[in-house]
Amino acid sequence: MITRPAHLPSGPSPDVIIVGAGLAGGILAGQLAEGGRRVLLLERGDHLPHEAIPGDHLRNHRLSLYGDNTSLDPAGHPRVFVDPTGREHLVPPHDARHQLNAYTVGGGARIWGMQAWRFHPDDFRMASRYGVPADSSLADWPIAYDDLAPFYDQAEHAIGIAGDHFGDTHAPRTRPFPLPPVPRSPSAAWLARGAASLGWSTFTPPLAVNTAPYQGRGACIQCAQCIGFSCPTDAKNGSHNTLLPRALATGRCTLVTRAQATRVLTDARGRVTGVAYVAPVSPGSATLASHTVHAPLVIVSSGALESARLLLLSSSPTHPHGLGNHSDHLGRHVQGHYYPIAYGVLPPGVEQTLTGPGVSIATTRFNHGNPGIIGGAMLANDFVKLPLIFWRQSLPPDVPRWGLANKRAMRDLFRRGIDVRGPVQEIPSPHSRITLDPTVRDRHSLPVARLSGTTHPETVRTAEFIRQRAEEWLRASGAERVWSWPPELKFSAGQHQAGTCRMSADPSAGVTDPFGRVHGHDNLYVCDASLHVTNGGFNPALTVMALAFRTAAHMLRSA
Amino acid sequence: MGALRFHSFAVMPLTPPLLVALRAVLDRLIPTDEFPGALAAGTDDYVVRALLGDSARELPLIIAGLARLDALALAHHSPASTFAALRPVQQDELLRSPEVAGDPFFHRLVDLAHEGFYADPGNGGNRDALSWQMLGYDPHGGADRPPTSAPATPSSR
Repeated sequence: MITRPAHLPSGPSPDVIIVGAGLAGGILAGQLAEGGRRVLLLERGDHLPHEAIPGDHLRNHRLSLYGDNTSLDPAGHPRVFVDPTGREHLVPPHDARHQLNAYTVGGGARIWGMQAWRFHPDDFRMASRYGVPADSSLADWPIAYDDLAPFYDQAEHAIGIAGDHFGDTHAPRTRPFPLPPVPRSPSAAWLARGAASLGWSTFTPPLAVNTAPYQGRGACIQCAQCIGFSCPTDAKNGSHNTLLPRALATGRCTLVTRAQATRVLTDARGRVTGVAYVAPVSPGSATLASHTVHAPLVIVSSGALESARLLLLSSSPTHPHGLGNHSDHLGRHVQGHYYPIAYGVLPPGVEQTLTGPGVSIATTRFNHGNPGIIGGAMLANDFVKLPLIFWRQSLPPDVPRWGLANKRAMRDLFRRGIDVRGPVQEIPSPHSRITLDPTVRDRHSLPVARLSGTTHPETVRTAEFIRQRAEEWLRASGAERVWSWPPELKFSAGQHQAGTCRMSADPSAGVTDPFGRVHGHDNLYVCDASLHVTNGGFNPALTVMALAFRTAAHMLRSA
Repeated sequence: MGALRFHSFAVMPLTPPLLVALRAVLDRLIPTDEFPGALAAGTDDYVVRALLGDSARELPLIIAGLARLDALALAHHSPASTFAALRPVQQDELLRSPEVAGDPFFHRLVDLAHEGFYADPGNGGNRDALSWQMLGYDPHGGADRPPTSAPATPSSR
């Protein structure tokens, strides 16, 4: 006999429990609730209004020196980071080594930079195209670009993506974006001329922003406090302001915040029966209680690190190493993106406009086909920068760090700094992984995530190649000076974390099947970037969204 | 502007001589020129508040470093002088000396000062957004605007 938690409505049990109300969880909730399913959506963070996400330049998701602007109970949820020398560090959520999760309804999309790229068709077949480097776990996806294309299209229109249909040709598209591209800044026009002189084509990259009113919300006002912050006009698109409100409007979706899943429940035969979680005894209460809720279907959608952690925490006599870990892939192949950056100084007469979002030019020329290199990266200019971020990262290396010379350089260069950067497609390694820490526990006495290993060293070669292309772009454009730093082998996850529950057709080669269903469990799914076999040379969010639409369609079709 | 401001702190983590030294260092890290510097923007308030809060673990480092600066000033200058009483050119020279420039205390203080000065006014070290006015940065302004021209006299509000 199960007691019903006070925060759940009376009535029948849910048809599906979704763990995590991030970008994918919100989409699943919307699609499944509109499809007639009763959905219970559990989220460990709060449902934050704009006003509750502070515009603090020391504590945000772009610069989190002393905290961030979404975390609930940061002290209660550390991780253990093992650096490449083997030394362990206990890291709170705002420490970059914790890997930048945004623990809130909407997930990272509440405060993101909004780049919403389709992967390149060859991103799904990296092993076939390049071969498999020794000691790497490079592999093809079990699905192809064409399988995902209709869902990329669906995501672009349902979420609201602004883009350049005719310029953005790296992946085949069937109809224009629903919103016109962001305006091109003078410095981006300057970069376009430089690229043209090299014979490189450029275009305005796709962003999940209302460049015009769309779906009942207003347009972006181009403020200068964009990435890392909540949007004052709610023009920053994600599932929190599209599919999730639609889910709640059906009356069939219950969102429970401050509810952290502690394990996926299985019966004596190993079949998934529901979820155990910790949540306030009633909404708003500080008193926590343990709850269990049962459903015929469970979807884990907590981000690549926490989804893997939850499956590891759900071990049982029938699954002693965690659910879906029969072939020892769970928690391995952690990926993100190396991000080589070339910095420069704009020549007189070209200035930064200090308007957001800021990213307004990109090239996909170097995503593939680079001689002697595996994969590559999209290159783009950066978001509008906070003054303090500029001081920390963007002054030329020979400028003194203090005194009049530093102050004058800030004044002279703040509007003349330019950088070009790109998300390098990483070569995964099975040794880059998340496991359960044997000693450190979180607020709820659960083992925390322990992060260790590095990407495969081939990633460094690709990143170095991309760094040189970034420098070349700035030089050809006429930058007064150009500088950058070489990449180093490292653990990489961050806000683009992926790969920990890779999908595979062969159950021995991954954690889930090609629809995200955990091998050996017909009623347990994973849906987030955990599924990514490789993570593309692009920001991965639109692929996460497309997979969520695809998983939802599969569920509605098969039941 | 003035030391009286610090009376708003329930606990003052620095002795009066060290507070004088801190303010003198901040005045050299972000000096006044045609635009206001650290002291006019209240960056000293920010640093003290940080040492009572998020950076409390670093308070001993900062205390020891400031005391060492005064000791170096006393030892190396004739007639003997505290750091704060030195001329700006002598202060800069001392801050650039290898025994100070390589000191974790100094690196941390450089970071704290600039964090306060260039962060949002809500953090207390960028009063009236003085540094943002200098740069022409407005977080809420979508419309492009050039930096303000230099004020006739540095603001001391």
